[in-house]
Amino acid sequence: MISYIGKRMIAIIPIVFIATLVTFALIHISPVDPAEAYLTAAHIYPTPELLAQKRHEFGLDQPLLTQYAHTIQKITKLDFGTSYLTNKPVWDEVKLRLPATAELAFWSMLLSALVSIPLGILAAVYKNSWIDMISRAISYFGASIPQFWLGYLLIFFFSVKLDWLPVEGRGSWENLVLPTITLSLILIAVYTRLLRSSVLEQLQETYVQYARTRGIRERVIMLKHVLKIAISPLITGMGMSMGKLLTGTIIVEQVFSWPGFGRYFVDAIFNRDIPVIQCYVFLAACLFIVCNLLVDLVQLVMDPRISAKGRAEH
Amino acid sequence: MSVQHRKSSALTLATMLLLLFVIVGCSNTGSGDESSSAASDQTSTKSITMSWPRDIGTMNPHTYNPSQLFAQSMLYEPLISYQKDGKLEPALAESWTISDDGKVYTFKLRQGVKFSDGTPFNAEIVKKNFDAVMKNKDTHSWLGIVGVLDKTEVVDDQTFRMTLTEPYYPVLQDLSVVRPFRFLGEAGFPDDGDTSQGIKEPVGTGPWMLAEYKQDEYAVFKRNPNYWGTAPKVDQITVKIIPDGETRVLAFEKGDLDLIYGEGMISLDAFQELRDNDKYVTQLSDPVGTRSLLLNSSNPKLSDVRVRMALQQGFNKKAMVEGVTSGLEEPADTVLSKNYPYTNVDLEPITYDVEKSKALLDEAGWKLPAGGTVREKDGQQLDFEMIFDKTDPIQKAMAETIQAEWSELGVKVNLTGLELTVQIKRLKANGFDLYFWYNYGAPYDPHSFINVVASPGFGISETLSALPMKKELDDQVHAALSSTDETKRQELYGSILKTLQEQSAIVPISYIKKTAVYQKKISNFIFPANRDENPFVGIELGNQ
Repeated sequence: MISYIGKRMIAIIPIVFIATLVTFALIHISPVDPAEAYLTAAHIYPTPELLAQKRHEFGLDQPLLTQYAHTIQKITKLDFGTSYLTNKPVWDEVKLRLPATAELAFWSMLLSALVSIPLGILAAVYKNSWIDMISRAISYFGASIPQFWLGYLLIFFFSVKLDWLPVEGRGSWENLVLPTITLSLILIAVYTRLLRSSVLEQLQETYVQYARTRGIRERVIMLKHVLKIAISPLITGMGMSMGKLLTGTIIVEQVFSWPGFGRYFVDAIFNRDIPVIQCYVFLAACLFIVCNLLVDLVQLVMDPRISAKGRAEH
Repeated sequence: MSVQHRKSSALTLATMLLLLFVIVGCSNTGSGDESSSAASDQTSTKSITMSWPRDIGTMNPHTYNPSQLFAQSMLYEPLISYQKDGKLEPALAESWTISDDGKVYTFKLRQGVKFSDGTPFNAEIVKKNFDAVMKNKDTHSWLGIVGVLDKTEVVDDQTFRMTLTEPYYPVLQDLSVVRPFRFLGEAGFPDDGDTSQGIKEPVGTGPWMLAEYKQDEYAVFKRNPNYWGTAPKVDQITVKIIPDGETRVLAFEKGDLDLIYGEGMISLDAFQELRDNDKYVTQLSDPVGTRSLLLNSSNPKLSDVRVRMALQQGFNKKAMVEGVTSGLEEPADTVLSKNYPYTNVDLEPITYDVEKSKALLDEAGWKLPAGGTVREKDGQQLDFEMIFDKTDPIQKAMAETIQAEWSELGVKVNLTGLELTVQIKRLKANGFDLYFWYNYGAPYDPHSFINVVASPGFGISETLSALPMKKELDDQVHAALSSTDETKRQELYGSILKTLQEQSAIVPISYIKKTAVYQKKISNFIFPANRDENPFVGIELGNQ
């Protein structure tokens, strides 16, 4: 298993490498000149002399290969340069905002798991019953409502009309409630349906019939056998969502004035703050890879068949 | 498992689910907004909470983005302040004299002024600030004074003098802008004196001090106890950073915010809705800038004044502005509104007249072919590309309206929505036919406006490049900017504005206004004359 993890870790390197290459290429293909973007962000009129000076400063007058090598070299030291807009090191700025996003991601994940796991199981066990109908309604609603709209609706009812919760900002757990619900709803929608169908699938399996004929209690069959296998696609789904949540839940952060990573990135795009964009893409790639790896590891631990296969292959 | 059993365990799960919703959803029924520590403790102090879409920034008086102008103006003061109708009033300079040749400016500084940390404000610190700004001359080259400032001197403790290389009349206006010529206290300077790389702490002479700050979340300004002028009537201004306009409105309706003001802070729909609600007060400012349409005369089709005039006459400006902005902007007859110095000039408005417009196009040789819908001349169609900022709903609606109206004249307009940065790039590269453009507002105009009329690189001079009297226009601009004679200056401005009006290459559409929405407990809210200044000085709080 350790060697499996080791190999997976090593596999991260080429993927990240490709991600940086793609970002680098995109920035160079883009019609926006980084030197001009810098001057515009700083509200400095870009005279030809100043542009030339900045290009030299940023190393943009060097051959592309040298520039790329330089970028990679800096990234390995977690040096993403200085933000054009704030004049502060990008990494420091990111470090400041990541906890806010992580906090939101964690609670959204927890809430969606707490709701969708029981709901998905119940919907499968009592197929076509009222609870299945409710789960279906929640899923349709959650999957179809735009997140920003849901955010406004929640603010309108719970903050403005009922005065129960704050409209925006970060600070106490009360600020967390509405953005967490907004983010969770779509996850709940997806997870519930995912779990329902995979539980239904397992319930058709012969081992379940066999267990029943052996007189094993339904609850034991459910918890010890069915769920253990049925939950596997859910874990994959959650891993992917985790990556998405951690890279910033842009719209929700915007609507709830949540001072997170996503909002920072949106500002960077508007201001053509290229070092920030570069850092974001790099981090997003890393986060997705790590989340993916974590999912595989959890699956490995949970399902010995994967584990055996993993050991055999790696 | 019996059915009974299955049902009971399901019920347990369902109850748990419900409980979770209750715990999460109905968390708190009273305390409201404890979280924003910044916004609380409003009972003991007279406090106003407002919102801003961006973080207030580093509060460096000598640098630009991301510092927000309104916040910089709360902390730092100018030598001279720009007031209504362009009147210049003493601020940190009590009085000033200008030499006859217009090159030497001597300022008597106000006595007894202290920075918020108690250190004195004197000629020494004024020079230090000027030197810090001029050390990064390139950064500030957009401001006219930077290009002509030769040297600065400390005459005595309370007298500061500066000498220019050539006369430039808008020196005093340039000194009244929010950045870069405002004053940081000694304690704020970095050891090497170069403020362009950052400051130690924001120490100013202004009525406010930054008391509490959390990046991207909020900033709390408290009264400066050492302030030399009339102390503000409120003790504290809290600025919440809310990037989303709709959220801002919801926070205001909940009562978390007392005031929303600025340009484009909330949607026009939201503003109207709040205006119709008796619970709130709304205000519109005087014009802060003009929304214009540039007709690029370097395009051969647009080089003919008759075509430009026909286009200006060929759409119903008044109906369009009222329709698109719900009356929040005012139709503009002239490129510069009359609330700037030198702009109160009698100019003939160019009125909506479709028939006249068609006649002008015919006269210019652009005829409608039989059965055709687009005018032609020498085998060429009368078509243009209009570029607009695709994120700006007003520009988009106006572009579509103009397109429809001009098609009635036989003029084809192709609309191209662009990102703002690309749009600006096209403007500077002179790569456009029709372009939405805005002037700078007070205290930058009218001198910044005439400056770009004559200086290449900003897109305006290029737009006007095919006007037969362009050279003359440029000369008039240079003469106006360097003239020391008030009457002559007025004459030159009159002539420049008249030429521009008659040439119709910059088509005024509407005057943009700032909006303010506030709770009834606020009174005496007055928009500052300077577009970038804060409006907090006069605000009072009642007991609503």
